[in-house]
Amino acid sequence: MPAAPPDPTKRMSHGRYPISWRLLDQLEAMAAFLWPARLRRLTPWALLAPALLLVGVLVIGLGYMVEYSLHELDLATYRLKDAYSLANYQTILDRPVYLRVLERTLLGSVLVTAICLFFAFPYAYAIVRTQSAALRKFLLIALFLPFFIGQVVRAYGWLIVLGREGLVNSALAGLGLPGLDLLFNYPAVIFGLVQYMLPFAILLLVPAIAAIPEDIELASEGLGAPWGATFRHVVIPMARPGLIGASVVVFTLTLTDFAMPEILGGGTSDFIASAIYDSFFQISNPGLGAALSMLLVTLGSLIVATVFLIAGTGTLGVRGAAK
Amino acid sequence: MRGSLSKRLVIWGLVSVSLVTLSLPTLIVIGASFTQGDIIQFPPDGFSLRWYRALWQLDSFRDALLRSVYVSVICTLVSLPVGTLAALATVRYRLRFRNAIQVYLLLPFTIPLVVSGISMMLFFGEIRLLGQLWPVGLALCIINLPFMIWSVAASVNAIDPEIENAAMNCGAPPLQTFLTVTLPAVMPGVITGGLLMFILAFNEFLVSLFLTDSRTVTLPVQIYNSIRSVITPDLAAVSVLYIVIALIAVLLLDRLVGLEIFLRSK
Repeated sequence: MPAAPPDPTKRMSHGRYPISWRLLDQLEAMAAFLWPARLRRLTPWALLAPALLLVGVLVIGLGYMVEYSLHELDLATYRLKDAYSLANYQTILDRPVYLRVLERTLLGSVLVTAICLFFAFPYAYAIVRTQSAALRKFLLIALFLPFFIGQVVRAYGWLIVLGREGLVNSALAGLGLPGLDLLFNYPAVIFGLVQYMLPFAILLLVPAIAAIPEDIELASEGLGAPWGATFRHVVIPMARPGLIGASVVVFTLTLTDFAMPEILGGGTSDFIASAIYDSFFQISNPGLGAALSMLLVTLGSLIVATVFLIAGTGTLGVRGAAK
Repeated sequence: MRGSLSKRLVIWGLVSVSLVTLSLPTLIVIGASFTQGDIIQFPPDGFSLRWYRALWQLDSFRDALLRSVYVSVICTLVSLPVGTLAALATVRYRLRFRNAIQVYLLLPFTIPLVVSGISMMLFFGEIRLLGQLWPVGLALCIINLPFMIWSVAASVNAIDPEIENAAMNCGAPPLQTFLTVTLPAVMPGVITGGLLMFILAFNEFLVSLFLTDSRTVTLPVQIYNSIRSVITPDLAAVSVLYIVIALIAVLLLDRLVGLEIFLRSK
């Protein structure tokens, strides 16, 4: 005997709605009560409020930093004087040691950016243009794995590879060659930074290269240009937005880095961040450290602004997506 | 890759140099962690798991690990709703002062970490929050928030606003539209962002260095402090933990959204 068809009135009764529907209705009623339609105009601000508040914590902290930088250390009490002055900024200009640190940091940032782009470009190109999906996946994994491993752990890896009893020196000793001091010098810091920044550079270059149609390259080569010329006159100019984005990010991250110069430099190659750290925690002069911090923020912003003015914002541009 | 032999040789040659540079420390650390000996040397002295056992029995490292997990969870849980809503607001709505807000929300990325860390240390010290663990999680959320907003914004940019309008035309109230249409559409960005936030917080070192003391030290800071004394194989074992977690994150990312998503030109 066939089952009786379900009674449609029963199915429509409120009690038979799925529990999730009823729950959603309740939530909807609550939302409408808490956020009535006349507040609709303010919705985006309500969505933004938590983020604005969180970043506000940082902004208040920066306020303290500015305030600290304007008070000189009283050497009698080891507290900051009450009077406002620019003495800390004067001290930075007066002491040649800070100029040297600044020079070393800027030179390091330029070197790291140049070397990173040189190696990142072919890597990004290979990811985009390889015809083997498996190879692409391998290159992506080899790229993301170090990207997800922090600076301290990676620096530790280099200590093992480059140290006195490390891999390289053991290999040299095995060959009967004298050991090398590979650590705690400027080249070690540059090397560590390049390795740290390389994934950033590649990830920022990849979308720019992916946007270049391969046909254009083929056309250039079809017209008889050797691949070097195609790269110089077609691929690299077309990847310019990515190159700008990658260099700005690598440059500023290097400019402000602390861990690599500290661990791989071992005190021989301090960057500005180390000088800031030392002012606060070694010589206990928070006013001077705060002034150095302001200098670092200003310097970084000026350089980025200059690059953006001259070359455009590249892939880092804020896209006006609201329609 | 198409092209002449010389092109392929040059490109793949440079790629191999990058590959070795990127992977060498990871591989070496893994090898060193299984040594039987008391020092790190090459080739490693026998095979054993003794350093892993030693590590788990060492309270300082186990506690630091648990603290790191705790702050990373706080960071992720806070940033998921905050970053998702902020990304929706900045991309979807016509806001007044839109550019100023974008610049403001990017501050955590543009201000150097050493400056952010000390700034928040000064502020937290003033309101007596230093010495507790949860503010560290909050601070890590603040400094990494742009990454969360970015990854969600990329997903929001990719969806067609008309599907939300269609849902509302069909009678879906605002919350239902959000939960059943908008949220599923931006889910890839939310997942990527959440993973990224956890990994970044779990690895974060510099800001944590300023905000923790000897009772609240997190794992990266603990490693940093140990590196400065003697390098023993137990540190290699901790590092392998980081490598394993990174590997899990990469594979998860690949499974859930596909690594190829990063190939997309904007």
